[in-house]
Amino acid sequence: MVTLDSKIPSGSIEEKWDKHKFGMKLVNPANRRKYNVIVVGTGLAGASAAASLGEMGYNVKAFCIHESPRRAHSVAAQGGINAAKNYQNDGDSVYRLFYDTVKGGDFRAREANVHRLAQVSVNIIDQCVAQGVPFARDYAGLLANRSFGGAQVSRTFYARGQTGQQLLIGAYSAMMRQVESKQVELLYRREMLDLVVIDGKARGIIVRNLLTGEVESHVADAVILATGGYSNVFYLSTNAMACAVTAAWRAHKRGAYFANPCYTQIHPTCIPVHGENQSKLTLMSESLRNDGRVWVPKNKGDKRPASEIPDDERDYFLERIYPSFGNLAPRDVASRQAKYRVDEGRGVGSTGVAVNLDFRDSINRLGEEAIAARYGNLFQMYQKITGENPYKVPMMIYPAPHYTMGGLWVDYNLMSTIPGLFVAGEANFSDHGANRLGASALMQGLADGYFVLPYTVGNYLAGTNLEKVSPAHDGFKEAHQGVQQELQKLLSIKGGRTVESFHKELGRTMWEYCGMGRNEAGLKKALESIPKLREEFWNNVKVPGDLNYVNPELEKASRVADFLEQGELMCLDALERKESCGGHFREEYQTSEGEAQRDDENFCHVAAWEWQGTNKKQSLHKEALTFENVKLATRSYK
Amino acid sequence: MASNQSKNIDLVLKVWRQKGPKNEGQFVDYQAKGVSTDASFLEMLDAVNEQIIADGGDPIAFDHDCREGICGSCGFMIDGEAHGPERSTTVCQLHMRHFKDGDKIVLEPWRAQAFPIIKDLMVDRTALDRIISAGGYVSVNTGTAQDANNLPVRKRDADEAFEAATCIGCGACVASCKNASAMLFTSAKVSHLSLLPQGQVEREERVLNMVAQMDAEGFGACSNTGACSVSCPKGIDLTTIARLNREYVAAAMNKHDAGQKLGDG
Amino acid sequence: MAHMLGNLLLFVGSDAYNEYGHALTSGKIIYVAEAALIFSLLTHVFMGMRLTLKNRAAKGARYHVQASGEKKVSWSSRTMVFHGAIILFFVIYHLITFKFGTYYETTVNGVVMRDIHRLVVEVFANPAYVAGYIVCLILLTAHLSHGVGSLLQSFGLNSRAHEKKRQAISCLYALVVGGGFIAQPIYVYFMN
Ligand SMILES: Cc1cc2nc3c(=O)[nH]c(=O)nc-3n(C[C@H](O)[C@H](O)[C@H](O)COP(=O)(O)OP(=O)(O)OC[C@H]3O[C@@H](n4cnc5c(N)ncnc54)[C@H](O)[C@@H]3O)c2cc1C
Ligand code: HEM
Ligand code: HEM
Ligand code: SF4
Ligand code: F3S
Ligand code: FES
Repeated sequence: MVTLDSKIPSGSIEEKWDKHKFGMKLVNPANRRKYNVIVVGTGLAGASAAASLGEMGYNVKAFCIHESPRRAHSVAAQGGINAAKNYQNDGDSVYRLFYDTVKGGDFRAREANVHRLAQVSVNIIDQCVAQGVPFARDYAGLLANRSFGGAQVSRTFYARGQTGQQLLIGAYSAMMRQVESKQVELLYRREMLDLVVIDGKARGIIVRNLLTGEVESHVADAVILATGGYSNVFYLSTNAMACAVTAAWRAHKRGAYFANPCYTQIHPTCIPVHGENQSKLTLMSESLRNDGRVWVPKNKGDKRPASEIPDDERDYFLERIYPSFGNLAPRDVASRQAKYRVDEGRGVGSTGVAVNLDFRDSINRLGEEAIAARYGNLFQMYQKITGENPYKVPMMIYPAPHYTMGGLWVDYNLMSTIPGLFVAGEANFSDHGANRLGASALMQGLADGYFVLPYTVGNYLAGTNLEKVSPAHDGFKEAHQGVQQELQKLLSIKGGRTVESFHKELGRTMWEYCGMGRNEAGLKKALESIPKLREEFWNNVKVPGDLNYVNPELEKASRVADFLEQGELMCLDALERKESCGGHFREEYQTSEGEAQRDDENFCHVAAWEWQGTNKKQSLHKEALTFENVKLATRSYK
Repeated sequence: MASNQSKNIDLVLKVWRQKGPKNEGQFVDYQAKGVSTDASFLEMLDAVNEQIIADGGDPIAFDHDCREGICGSCGFMIDGEAHGPERSTTVCQLHMRHFKDGDKIVLEPWRAQAFPIIKDLMVDRTALDRIISAGGYVSVNTGTAQDANNLPVRKRDADEAFEAATCIGCGACVASCKNASAMLFTSAKVSHLSLLPQGQVEREERVLNMVAQMDAEGFGACSNTGACSVSCPKGIDLTTIARLNREYVAAAMNKHDAGQKLGDG
Repeated sequence: MAHMLGNLLLFVGSDAYNEYGHALTSGKIIYVAEAALIFSLLTHVFMGMRLTLKNRAAKGARYHVQASGEKKVSWSSRTMVFHGAIILFFVIYHLITFKFGTYYETTVNGVVMRDIHRLVVEVFANPAYVAGYIVCLILLTAHLSHGVGSLLQSFGLNSRAHEKKRQAISCLYALVVGGGFIAQPIYVYFMN
């Protein structure tokens, strides 16, 4: 059994990272090209890591599931990226960002990691601006900021409603520059389907070429997974269609622990579901809550159009319950309150499963033009999807699965329990604890890729003896065959149900029992039904086409197969964590006012799960969390 | 959200089916019955595909990912229009309320020599990536940047650069251009960077190299038809093309004057 | 680029020609202008056709359906090569009728010169000629309306603030040139 050593450096919180960097072993620049590093996933974390490692002189192979790295799902982030620049002179600092993030994560994150994140946040903005990322600016030509949920300072940098896209294009073009100079080899339309571990170390991956269908082996000295989150386990989420747990899950099955799988973030401002055929949910940036007011009618079943409901019959419930944060209450809090209103029968819209987000007052105060300048493209998007004009009628919103704080367990160096396997971005569990604050994921992805991995990967390579291996090694052969067989198996079942229908059913189960509110009875039910669904899948799924060419259904099938295992682990983790914290709300554990109730005595730890084999219960390891700087306190946004 | 005008419609789809780049393709008709007008175009295709799979057929292949109009994966011709009839819209953001009961809709892949067909409605647009690698960046290594606010940028320029930078690389400009020119795509990147102080140092090499790569990929030349900008889901302005031309002429003249050799594609 | 420069020459050249040809002046300069004009015309035709062929090749297959809704573009821009070709035939035919047509002589102020006026009047007495001319000239107008705007765009003489102006200039120029030419046969036809 591996013991969980977080490798947190000694020293005061402010010095840890600098001291650690100084203590690291370096690879001589001339030797760097002798090392091969594989990067899987080309979102912010992957692209920035590939670019930086390439610049340093390592041989990098970057694997992209799309035809172009610019399509990775980071592109969809709208709202912004945090950094402790204090350009607004409103009292922000590295320490405050650190403090807010630890508190926002409901005291379930590692202090040392979070502090490092806050420290390098400053460099991220410098780097991005130097690359030409067109952040919003004021009339003096300086960078503009806005505030985001869970913070009382303005520290969010943004590029209209397309921040993720602009940051990704920055990282992508930095990487393409390395592709041009042959430091990075870009392998596109490849999906990683297994990790190869030789002598206990990560030595390569098995991928399927999604164009030719060929299963390929790729050797490396270190492997970085930057494959994003797993919200798609819910079927309907704000994630893109190709977002999956597959890469992380296959690594998990090879020995990487999976940490805190039950921590999922449900985003409060999404466009509500329209019907059965819905394939995904669309997020409306949370920045909208800066100028929009959230309300429902005071009276149950009030079906009048919003404009006909006078102010004194409206319940601006976030402002009412959380006077100091108001509409900017953190995501988990805002989501749960919306759910309660709907449960009370006060939801709006034809389905009754939505609440209003109203811009009337800010339009009156600032004018339509000012609102359009801030949110024009979001309003346009909303109108496109719903056919309604949000300048005239309130938007309707409802929470949807959005981000997964859980992920592969990593130490301070972002290395998993498999030496040589590093995990970055949303795919790891590291910095957000039980709840992520808005605009912090982009920051973390880029921090990992630009400023942490380039050091820690070098440190690993310099300090490790790595034998030469080739794809002919037994380790590769075994993994290669395994992948091939599994794909063949999926094609050969030829059952009666489509992949999609299994995914939908799993999603419904997860949303029902492991969504915004969880309880013991529900989780137990899910733990019974998921294995059954999985069994049916392996006996009755219908996957058309063949192995040797483009086959999107086959791709989906292998992703859903993994979700069918991972969903179960999420429920197990949720069941074991008998407390409420952040994005994990156990209905049994709440205060008399309906707020989450943590149990620091028994659950102030990271839950890291170890794979034991198919259909076997996974075993739990705990990494205790200590809080030396931010005192453990009940999170209050009142 | 089920809007109040929501209803169900029946459609006939005439879809280009082609097994691979070297195979012959042909149109095949499909029925799409009971499509909710609240569904997106791709959700409608999902439903058609589910039916095809149930009937033992090969589902229609198309590229897609984010389904919110930002990743640039989706895109094909709907009745001769790139991304369909709505302006400033990608296929994934096109909703069925723009169609009428009984419509017959023709779906074709992007057509350009530089975009070989992979399967059905899926094409290979990696040529666009190679145009970017030829110079669509600022050469700044990680960790070498100065403080971000040391570099003020006039708001007007920043906004214009941003607008050019919103290109999602979908290829609709190429698809709708009768010359299959990638001019709008290339000019958007050239404009984005040449408007910003960060982009000045490499300004001339950038435009020369990117244009050279564009030609090498087999894209046609722009004859200012303007179909690209009309089809562009991000509304990239035609004036970016004028800017590219201006930058190109200036760079080419300077290159000649200096008599220096600039790196090629 | 060469194509564009060729076009520019033609563009400038055709103006020079207009002055020359229609002012009926004479002198050495004529031959220079003539040569430049013919050269640029040929270059333009050659480049125009080559460009079109290259662009067709870049496109590969054509679409089954053409855009008809919101996203369609101006007819003239799509069909430059067709009206271009018709204009070429027009010019050739035009040269045959006038330059190499019947040679009338007249004496003005004691100098013997060609009586082009008589020829013109004769030719335009025929309504078929007039109609043919008008059709061709309308096509010329279309060709120019796109061509001039395109020229400005190609030389980068366009920016967001000037987009409307660019289109207006192009249209105006085309109308002045086209209209001016069209006026002549009509005038001659009805006055005689
Ligand atoms: C709609 C939306 C809005 C958001 N807005 C914000 C915001 O405003 N601010 C903020 O800070 N955060 C925001 N987030 C969160 C943030 O965007 C993500 O957490 C972050 O971008 C993740 O980056 P990443 O590099 O870790 O992963 P990603 O960008 O998701 O990249 C991972 C890539 O790996 C690919 N991949 C997965 N499996 C495999 C495999 N087996 N083989 C190969 N490739 C694989 C995936 O398809 C994906 O493209 C938002 C998220 C969403 C969904
Ligand atoms: C209706 C209007 C027009 C009239 C009445 C007209 C008349 C004439 C006449 C009389 C000549 C002979 C001049 C000479 O030989 O000295 C001539 C020459 C010519 N015209 Fe026109 N023309 C008209 C329109 C045009 C147009 C629209 C074009 C081109 C687009 C054109 C192109 C030419 C050319 C190239 C020549 C030969 C010039 C030369 O001698 O080099 N003309 N025209
Ligand atoms: C066979 C004959 C012709 C062909 C194939 C042809 C083709 C073209 C094409 C394809 C263009 C667009 C080029 C671009 O936008 O970059 C163009 C532009 C233009 N054409 Fe023609 N044309 C022909 C004859 C003529 C004639 C006879 C005239 C003048 C009387 C003319 C005047 C112009 C002008 C002024 C432009 C704009 C210049 C430019 O954009 O570079 N053309 N032509
Ligand atoms: S310019 Fe517009 S149409 Fe062309 S690739 Fe970019 S977004 Fe797509
Ligand atoms: S449609 Fe084509 S011709 Fe030029 S203006 Fe656009 S690239
Ligand atoms: S699927 Fe991403 S833009 Fe359409």
